[in-house]
Amino acid sequence: MLEARNISFSYNGTTLVLDSLDFYVHRGEIVVITGPTGSGKSTLAKCLSGFIPKSIPGEFSGSILIDDSDVSNLDIAELAGQVALVQQDPESQICTLQVSDEVAFGPENYEIEVEEISKVVNSSLKSIDASHLYERATFELSGGEKQRLIIAAMIACRPRYLILDEPSSSLDPRGVMQLREILRGLQSQDIGIIVIEHNLLNIQPIADRVLALSGGKIINFDRTQHKEPTSLKSRVIDTTSSPLLSAKNLEFSYGNRKVINNVTLSVQNGEIIGLMGSNGSGKTTLLGLLSGLLVPDSGTINLGESSLGKMNAKEIAKRTAMVFQNPNHQIFEKTVWKEQILTINALEMMTLETLQQCETILERADIAEMRDRNPFSLSHGQKRRLNVSSIMIHKPKLLLFDEPFIGQDVEGREFIKQTMFETVEDGGAAIIVTHDPHFVAGQCDRVIFMERGSILLDGSPSSVLDRLSSTGYKEFADLGVQF
Amino acid sequence: MIGIVVYPSWRLSVVLLFIVFMGFLTAKVPLRLTRGRTKFIIIFSVLLFLIQVLFTTNGVLLGHLIPQIGEIGPLFPVTDFGIVRGLAISSRFLLLVFSSMLFVSVTDPTLLAHSLTRLKVPYRYSFSLVIALRFLPLFDLENHTVRMAQKARGITPEVTGLSKIIRTVQYTFFPLLVSALSRVEALSMSMDGRGFGYGSDRSYLRKSSWRVIDTIALVLTISFLVVCFLFSFGYLPEIASLI
Repeated sequence: MLEARNISFSYNGTTLVLDSLDFYVHRGEIVVITGPTGSGKSTLAKCLSGFIPKSIPGEFSGSILIDDSDVSNLDIAELAGQVALVQQDPESQICTLQVSDEVAFGPENYEIEVEEISKVVNSSLKSIDASHLYERATFELSGGEKQRLIIAAMIACRPRYLILDEPSSSLDPRGVMQLREILRGLQSQDIGIIVIEHNLLNIQPIADRVLALSGGKIINFDRTQHKEPTSLKSRVIDTTSSPLLSAKNLEFSYGNRKVINNVTLSVQNGEIIGLMGSNGSGKTTLLGLLSGLLVPDSGTINLGESSLGKMNAKEIAKRTAMVFQNPNHQIFEKTVWKEQILTINALEMMTLETLQQCETILERADIAEMRDRNPFSLSHGQKRRLNVSSIMIHKPKLLLFDEPFIGQDVEGREFIKQTMFETVEDGGAAIIVTHDPHFVAGQCDRVIFMERGSILLDGSPSSVLDRLSSTGYKEFADLGVQF
Repeated sequence: MIGIVVYPSWRLSVVLLFIVFMGFLTAKVPLRLTRGRTKFIIIFSVLLFLIQVLFTTNGVLLGHLIPQIGEIGPLFPVTDFGIVRGLAISSRFLLLVFSSMLFVSVTDPTLLAHSLTRLKVPYRYSFSLVIALRFLPLFDLENHTVRMAQKARGITPEVTGLSKIIRTVQYTFFPLLVSALSRVEALSMSMDGRGFGYGSDRSYLRKSSWRVIDTIALVLTISFLVVCFLFSFGYLPEIASLI
């Protein structure tokens, strides 16, 4: 049994992130811990795996025990042999160039005999159903494969407990199903598993216990606390007027790899479109093309009356707003306030009125009191809200959001949804990349499902989700975030 | 490669360049270059050549780039020595680029790290090479994304005035730096969490092995280097006059 007894932790010495918390997990058990952003879930994971207090500074008290013996005298490498942590971003955790090297990395460090390592590598890859990847280069792997690889690399160290921090956030529904299978397999090997998750539905079906972290303490999860999300007011979409955006026969390749294959679509004013599909199906690339950031190999895109190819970058930026997946890639300034006014500055739209609007939207995004802080020091969810708030002031007509809800709690989701609704009520439109069928069913007017660079389905949410359930894409219609 | 720095002769460089291309062929490594990169390499080597031709004035005069027109000129004398220098420098540049490319594409960094460890380089240092090569493509990709994000916000790279240049650099550098730093933290936790630094040595699943051909290659390179030194110090003038 891995146990945390009465642990408290504070990064700065004043605010307690964890407050006299007690927790345990048995071997062969799957426990899910949920809670809003900033509630200390990742901090708990780092305490249990020994990085706190051993390599991360802060004030720590309490004790971590394995089978009733205190582990505070073990160093990180020794403890790592017992408790392994899979962190959020798989990309950052891979340190070698070949799959077999990555899995062998742990055992190599412990100076295990080569024959033994070879066996461990094979069995670890087998348990993540990836023996065929043995000789592949790590940078060629898909997001889901990287996630599985890092799990294999961790279990190759033969831990008795495995902690996974938001393992499903970068996975598509198929990847989530595969992850469930892998975790079940590890459970049967008598490994105790702790999964930290935002998207409860993803792992809950295989969990033995579901707990929540709130106010620095572990409580039993109670789903009635969560309020229903606001749903869309019914709107009538004018389909007779000329479309806001129309794209015809788009083709796009990266080198020899064709990513967008003969895509034709048009977007009407007032529409919210959910863009679904597996990872690597071309959703992000399509957004890049529609925002004029990527230039199609062939095909035409019209924004209103004018052709996108003939407009300059500023003209396009005035009418479209894009939110990228990684919030760090789209923050440029030194303070939150400067970042907020950066777009209207670049577009030369700085007036008293727009500055006032900047104030208001920061309030609504709940980051107004951080206006002088460095935006890079904000939490993931706060950064994401700043990404959205800083591109709304010039009232763009077309919103292109790439998985905006990842890592957002209920309030963050509400803010992003509200800004979206305002734009469409104002005659704009939004295309939202998402894996969440509940969002799509409740808030979208239309769903586009992509597969291998082409549009497979395009229609009303209910008809598309029905089709997905009845064809080979059932997971996409079933899984999702639910609050 | 050091040989060509020690003894700069364009004939020698061209011979070596030929050997490098033979290397590409025997290693069956396709010369995969994007159009932008090919353009850069060609323009840069031509530029290097032209600059040398234009600004080297000693040697036998062959003519002028701009002949005498009335009062003006003749300008930019072209000399045989200038052409030789130009060829030497641009062929040296091409040799550097292509031999590095050949090195990177035929060397497995994991095995290289293991070889370095066998040469008593501490594994912490040899492994940093692997990590650097692992993250290079990723930073290239991120750089691309950051530029797209700038464009989406209506930020265009401006180079008029120092403050604007600084701002343009800042807008690219900040996001990349922050993303790199957050990766470093995750990476070091991930490596520590797998026992990196547990012992003074580690074992290796894939090992590099020293073969006869490696000895031959080593002997050849060293003797080639010695010959280059002899050339540049003026020994062996008979052979040196040939190349």
